[in-house]
Amino acid sequence: MKLVIKNLTKNYGNKEVLKEIDFTFEEGKIYGLIGRNGAGKTTFFNCLNEDVEVDSGRFILSDEYGENELKTEDIGYVISTPTVPEFLTAKEFLSFFLEINKDKIKDKKTIEEYFDLVKINKEDQDKLLKEYSHGMKNKMQMLINIIANPKVLLLDEPLTSLDVVVQEEMKQLLKSIKKDHILIFSTHILELALDLCDEIVILNNKQIELVEKNNLNTKKYKDKIIKMLKDEEHDK
Amino acid sequence: MINSLKMSFKIDMTYAINSFIYSLKKIPIFKDLFPGDNLYKSKKAKSIIRVLGLILSSARMILYKIIYFWVIYVLATLLTPKDISAGILHIYFIFTIIGMFFNNKVLTTSTKKYFSIVLFNMDAKKYMKAMLWQEILTNLISHSIGLWILIQNPIIFLFTIFGFLGRIIGERLNVWHYTKYKISLTYNYPFYWTVILLSGLVALLPRIGIIITSPIITIIDIIFLPIAILSYIGLMKIDNYKLIFKRLNTKVRALNSNQSREYSRQAMIDIKEKDKKIDEKKLKGKKGYDLFNTIFFERHKEILLRSAKWFASISLLVIVGVGILVMINPILQKNLNKFLLNNIAWFVIIMYFINRGAIITQAMFYNCDHSMLTFNFYRNPKVILNVFKTRVLTVSKVNLIPASVIAIGLPILLYITGGTPNSIDYISIPIFIITLSIFFSIHYLVIYYLFQPYDKNMKMKSIAYSLISALTYLIAYSLTDFKMSTTLFSIIAIIATVAYSIIALIIVYKKAPQTFKIK
Repeated sequence: MKLVIKNLTKNYGNKEVLKEIDFTFEEGKIYGLIGRNGAGKTTFFNCLNEDVEVDSGRFILSDEYGENELKTEDIGYVISTPTVPEFLTAKEFLSFFLEINKDKIKDKKTIEEYFDLVKINKEDQDKLLKEYSHGMKNKMQMLINIIANPKVLLLDEPLTSLDVVVQEEMKQLLKSIKKDHILIFSTHILELALDLCDEIVILNNKQIELVEKNNLNTKKYKDKIIKMLKDEEHDK
Repeated sequence: MINSLKMSFKIDMTYAINSFIYSLKKIPIFKDLFPGDNLYKSKKAKSIIRVLGLILSSARMILYKIIYFWVIYVLATLLTPKDISAGILHIYFIFTIIGMFFNNKVLTTSTKKYFSIVLFNMDAKKYMKAMLWQEILTNLISHSIGLWILIQNPIIFLFTIFGFLGRIIGERLNVWHYTKYKISLTYNYPFYWTVILLSGLVALLPRIGIIITSPIITIIDIIFLPIAILSYIGLMKIDNYKLIFKRLNTKVRALNSNQSREYSRQAMIDIKEKDKKIDEKKLKGKKGYDLFNTIFFERHKEILLRSAKWFASISLLVIVGVGILVMINPILQKNLNKFLLNNIAWFVIIMYFINRGAIITQAMFYNCDHSMLTFNFYRNPKVILNVFKTRVLTVSKVNLIPASVIAIGLPILLYITGGTPNSIDYISIPIFIITLSIFFSIHYLVIYYLFQPYDKNMKMKSIAYSLISALTYLIAYSLTDFKMSTTLFSIIAIIATVAYSIIALIIVYKKAPQTFKIK
């Protein structure tokens, strides 16, 4: 399965944020989307997620059976500031989600198994989400996206403000689901991207570009990425 | 569709019950009685609260409907005192027309919708259908009952059917408008005002003997029926409701995320795109805090001045409108004169509502003091008092825009309604309005500086601030019952407000350097 982006352009008023982007993401890989602050990473995700209207461009999912336009249900979006219904307990939230989506979920598990997946203890399951920490809310957000099992999962800086333990748990979780998905993970922390992702793409100068690793060691690869980010004009 | 409705209801109820338990647990005694999260998982406790919740929400809905029909009834007694029933139906017709265009269900954004469609992944079209039917059927039934209680004539069903069909047509029109222009009809201001204006004119028709009667409404119903059917088919043909909801609710997402405060701050800045560029001439020759304050107020000109100008225009319209009415209606003329001579205390609450002090201090905190107070130099007593002084002057000037319209308008109204035995009223009333306006401007700034009610996360933290705000309202409200001759009341009020302002300013000068800080 591939996600093909063709000729994506997005402007905000007179400001050109993304310009004629052509790029292909492949299944089974975690893509680290790196860009400087204000480069347009969130805009890129919002375009893919259809939260904003694009000025031009097509998103196509292609597999051995053919090509289809990317549909809303093909996409999951984990935002950096998790949005959850605060006056539901985690268990209620999950139960409602499972009940509403019961016909769509494959390999249904028990609620307990789902909570185990994101390591939420029993004593926290009956707590209001309002009382959850940022990291716990993020886990819940990630969990329902994993259960919904979209073909493409967009992750907008989801690990940035998590503590190291939760960060590690989430990394393992993402690695465990990458097989049948296309994961695009945006961050401005280079080390995190290098540690987690299979491919690094940079968003710079309104364009997306793959950074070839070739035979470089991590240090040289890192230098190459920074040089690319510095050299080109960037959009502030 | 029924499943969507059931599910949505279930989520709503759980949400409401949990909110209730959460508030309950904030009270110390209940916190000790129900420790931990036991109440949230107790099915028994929740079912008791659910029954209570159901009763309360039904009672609330009934209350809203009672208020709705009470307003219609009162308006009918004014519009057609000789035939109230006809007036009720006429006004119901107008309300329905307005509701048809602007009270749309499909495109309204809400947290509930965001959670249901985007987060819980509910089928958007089924959800839309469920919400639409719930709304139009509830209205059909409750309006039929309401009108039947008032009129007891089968003709009312012609009107409620008109409401039913009208809502479907209105929803379709709204979705069409949104897909074509990317905004809901509610935000199409020229259209909005045209409908309001036309409705206002239709409301006056009974004055010249024209009223919506059963033959007219029958014809309208017959015309509306096929249009409503086509509209419903049109609504059902649209498949991308999920996309529509997602786009419409992106802001709701932001408002419900941890970004909410950042977002609301952003929203305040976003409104005033045209204020981003400041005319260089206005900054010429200014230095230090003078420059700082000028930049702040210039950047917030739109926030500060828009509502002040709006209130000024509305006040002018009301004064002119009332002026015309009293000239053609001698009874009204007499009553208004009596009111102006004995009930001037009413203007305390009017000036309270017109005053923008609370909003302005909020803008000050969100967009300026919140970050500036983290710097030591900004907490310097001299700086605090200097900034305070400039703010008092600017806020007072802003509030004086609508105040001066009222201050000029009231003596004119007094004069044309028959005048006053005490000529001093022509001077004391304007001074009373102006001092009242200055008083409210100072009052909000003073309590802001003395209690600085927000914490570093911009959450309201001060109970004292909330209490004083509530007390201010209560005093203003209770004065509406206060009867005293205008001459005496205005003079006492002038002295009291001036005295308060002087004392408050002295307290601020003494205390603000210690109290004005981030909690």
